[in-house]
Amino acid sequence: MTTPANGIDRTGLESRPVEHEVVRITKLNKTFHKRGLKALDDVDMTLRHSTFTSVIGPSGCGKSTLLKIMAGLIPATSGEILLNGKAVTGPRQDIGIMFQQPTLLPWRTSIENVLLPIEIRSGAAAAQAKKDDALRLLELVGLEGFDHVHPHELSGGMAQRVAICRMLVTGPAILLLDEPFGALDELTREYMNVELQRICRERDATSFMVTHAIPEAVFLADQVFVMSARPGRIATIVDVDLPRPRNLDMMTTPEFGALVRRVRHSLDMGIDGGGLA
Amino acid sequence: MTQTTQGPRGPAEMSDAEELWYSGKWIDRVPQWVSITVLGLAMLGLWWLIAELMPTNLKILLAGPADTFEELWDTTKNIVSGGHIAEGLWITTQEVLLGFLAAAILGFVLGVVVGETRLGKRAVMPYLVALNALPKVAFAPVFVAWFGFGVNSKIVMALFIAFFPVIVDTAAGLYSVDADTVMLFQSMESSRWQTLRKLKLPSALPFIFAGLKTAAVFSVVGAVVGEYLGGGHGLGELIRLSAQTLRIDRVFALIVYLGILGLLLFGLVAWAEKKLLFWHKSEIFEIQGTG
Repeated sequence: MTTPANGIDRTGLESRPVEHEVVRITKLNKTFHKRGLKALDDVDMTLRHSTFTSVIGPSGCGKSTLLKIMAGLIPATSGEILLNGKAVTGPRQDIGIMFQQPTLLPWRTSIENVLLPIEIRSGAAAAQAKKDDALRLLELVGLEGFDHVHPHELSGGMAQRVAICRMLVTGPAILLLDEPFGALDELTREYMNVELQRICRERDATSFMVTHAIPEAVFLADQVFVMSARPGRIATIVDVDLPRPRNLDMMTTPEFGALVRRVRHSLDMGIDGGGLA
Repeated sequence: MTQTTQGPRGPAEMSDAEELWYSGKWIDRVPQWVSITVLGLAMLGLWWLIAELMPTNLKILLAGPADTFEELWDTTKNIVSGGHIAEGLWITTQEVLLGFLAAAILGFVLGVVVGETRLGKRAVMPYLVALNALPKVAFAPVFVAWFGFGVNSKIVMALFIAFFPVIVDTAAGLYSVDADTVMLFQSMESSRWQTLRKLKLPSALPFIFAGLKTAAVFSVVGAVVGEYLGGGHGLGELIRLSAQTLRIDRVFALIVYLGILGLLLFGLVAWAEKKLLFWHKSEIFEIQGTG
């Protein structure tokens, strides 16, 4: 990656070569027949390699449902999700997922938690063989030396770092993040967002994050999908062309403020039932 | 300091001596072993007083502390020298241990069936609830008829009284598993068996141990009730005979040994829990204190 003379890495969308598609979603619909609820209505989207996508929307707009369908955890009513050209019909090894809670097993050490996906899929011997990879991941997230510590001895932010390692250990093609830092305090959350950006860049990760917080959505993303509710659909796409790596000071710039206002405006339209799609 | 901060405190806050000094209630300033000892001595005194004040013709109905401790000493000598009380204690111990083990295994298996399968929850559980509502002691004569006057009928009685809490707590533990973590296991393509073994059963352990602790106490009840109603040579039978001859001091001494038996079994389960559940919330304070 080249760094221009002014010291800012201007790898915005316009200057970046168009990366290949990792995820393509076409005409995705989800209806919960029991409740007679149309949760998702003709959702289309494309996620390109090494990009970060935030999804924001009012409660009940179906964003978490969308994430679970993308993870293969619940079936769609109709439509198609292609991940690296192959239809997602169930959970897959090349899908990484992370929740609001760290969901670590409290009786396992950090490294045992990180290796859990390998152990479940390929057995204890395969997990043992991946131990060096897991240690490198813990190092990547800044938890060097914490490999034999149990979750109750970790802070909330540290526990989420272990969850990040567990998500990355299988080398997934897409990272699905369901409000990953929503349970953390504001200061830790901002810091974790900077960390997440660094980790995603180092791993060239393609990420898809559901969130409630507009600044967080803008700060991390290359594109923000704004959803409207009942039925859930993507109302607006806001491209974020702020330079990377981004830092917290950037959140006070007029450009950042303008993007936050655009997302806010789109959200208000969606809630009013206006919709821009 | 405001009024609200002067109320009862949790153990975590108690360590600060200065805060203790400020706390309003005098009982908070007395070390706990002192309050326990003082209350114990007071109750002993009351017991002694009541026994002394009994009319002479009724004295035989309530053995005083002195008589009881003397009898306890004789009982202990008998046990140490391998007398008939030692034999009774050994029989009852076997009944309690085997009854508890059977209750633990059967309760655990049925608990997993109820907690893990739809059939168990919807069809088996209602029958177990109905069974639990029956006065189980009423079955003792049936067990004697089926399994004889020996230890077997008492083991079955102990099992019958003790296994239900293990079922309920095992099932409750399996239900208590965090939904997001179950989803995580699904995303890892975990089989039902893997999810049970690596997630649900370990998560359920705190509940299972709560059930086992109840079962430890109940199995002593079951064995003794079995002996009262079904004879044999255990401590329960010795208590029954002593009571018939109005040897209340001996009854008390034997009850002390039954209590020790129950406490030991309870302590054994609690010790195993402490070893296995180092990660559980209730144990965390100690872990951090030593580490």
